[in-house]
Amino acid sequence: MPISEQALRNREYWDRQSDEYQAIHGPQLNVDDLVWGAWSIREAEVGALGEVEGKDILELGCGAARWSIELARRGARPVGLDSSARQLEHARRLLAEAGMEFPLVRASAEEIPLPEESFDIVFSDHGALTWADPHVVVPEVARVLRAGGILAFNVSSPLLLMCSNKGADTRLHRSYFELDAAPEGDGAADYKLTDGGWIRLLRANGFSIEALTELRPSEGATTTYTDYVHYDWARSWPGEHLWKARKR
Amino acid sequence: MSERNVEVWTRANADYTDERAEQAWRQDEIDWGIWHVLERELQALPDVSGKDVVELGCGTAYFGAWLKKRGANRVVGVDPTPAQLETAGRLVESTGIELELVEAFGEDVPLPDASFDLAVSEYGASIWADPYKWIAEAARLLRPRGELVFLRNSTLVILCSPDDGSAAREELQRPEFGMHRFEWQGEVDDGVEYHLSHGAWIGLLRDNGFEILDLIEIQAPEGAETHLRYDFVTAEWARKWPSEEIWRARKRA
Repeated sequence: MPISEQALRNREYWDRQSDEYQAIHGPQLNVDDLVWGAWSIREAEVGALGEVEGKDILELGCGAARWSIELARRGARPVGLDSSARQLEHARRLLAEAGMEFPLVRASAEEIPLPEESFDIVFSDHGALTWADPHVVVPEVARVLRAGGILAFNVSSPLLLMCSNKGADTRLHRSYFELDAAPEGDGAADYKLTDGGWIRLLRANGFSIEALTELRPSEGATTTYTDYVHYDWARSWPGEHLWKARKR
Repeated sequence: MSERNVEVWTRANADYTDERAEQAWRQDEIDWGIWHVLERELQALPDVSGKDVVELGCGTAYFGAWLKKRGANRVVGVDPTPAQLETAGRLVESTGIELELVEAFGEDVPLPDASFDLAVSEYGASIWADPYKWIAEAARLLRPRGELVFLRNSTLVILCSPDDGSAAREELQRPEFGMHRFEWQGEVDDGVEYHLSHGAWIGLLRDNGFEILDLIEIQAPEGAETHLRYDFVTAEWARKWPSEEIWRARKRA
């Protein structure tokens, strides 16, 4: 099955956007640690991935592969997948700087060119569960995970998506029940699901729901993603939802 | 649950729920919440025939009566408000639908471990009891693979509800981080309620040995009108955002 038109438009967007993105956000993302989302919440505090040493790990929407590089340092065997060739050029540059080698795969997560049951952990930090169709990606993840494997992914919370208005304010600008409509228009667009929608999609693909961590910036935290969510908002309401599910 | 809630529900029963109980008991269809969305559309409940069911915070126990009519083997309604249990007892007599009624708070139920296949709560313990206690009680009462199904206000409607108990706004009124216990100051709703974020619900259910099966976020049906008594949310609001949600969970074997 070919990948969706929307995923192709998103690929073009990331190819165009990649250099500017890496220039603006690179400084925040270069931290030599495993950190989630706009506020760099430490994986050590969240525990979404569990033990990583010796594990086969697939990063969906790896961008410049900073997560995967740090995972390799910790003894994991990572594979970085991204739909954007330009993003993967940044990843190759960082791998060379780190003196590392692991596979980088240019593909949409809607069609993962990797064998069945080949990973212990699949994860995404605002990656392919946002920029590709989750109704296609989640079955693909179920296919490449081993039994008992973990899927962890960070996405914008439904509340942030409803309150978004060049950043976020306290008004509900859009209906909850329209959030999971397929993206429209001819530009880049993100996919959104309600909380109940995620639970049903994961369950239908053989996953148990293990945790939903509502990410909150630590006191005084800063971010380079200032047009995404403001500190005061994110201290009161969870702007990011980190789901953890396990293949049964 | 607190004594304050018993006072609230004693008054509410005299004003409202007692006189409506008979009609509710005699209703044939199961429906959910203030918008009366039909169970046959939502499919939130497992097959109850032959099952042992406990209803936590049963009020006048119409929901338990519906499950008994669907073939449940045994239905026990648990509620801390004597006035509502008197109403329920009167209906057991007049309808011949045999429910057992137990006066107790949802946080501390005087029934044995592993004695039920299904625990339900529809605007019962699900909002009026402390979830950190009643979820543990539900887990204790259920047999392995028993199901827990409960309806509560959505987390979102609580975030949008002013302290004075007036109808939910289209603007956030309170933070989500740290939410747990609420004392409303409204004329009708002046009890103590408990509400958690979705992440906290998932964590709590998992910690008590439950597998999460579903979260059904309810949209008011087309043409719905604002409830005359339960006016904490307008129909217009509830068409755009979920005012109620049903959690389904199963106790792990």
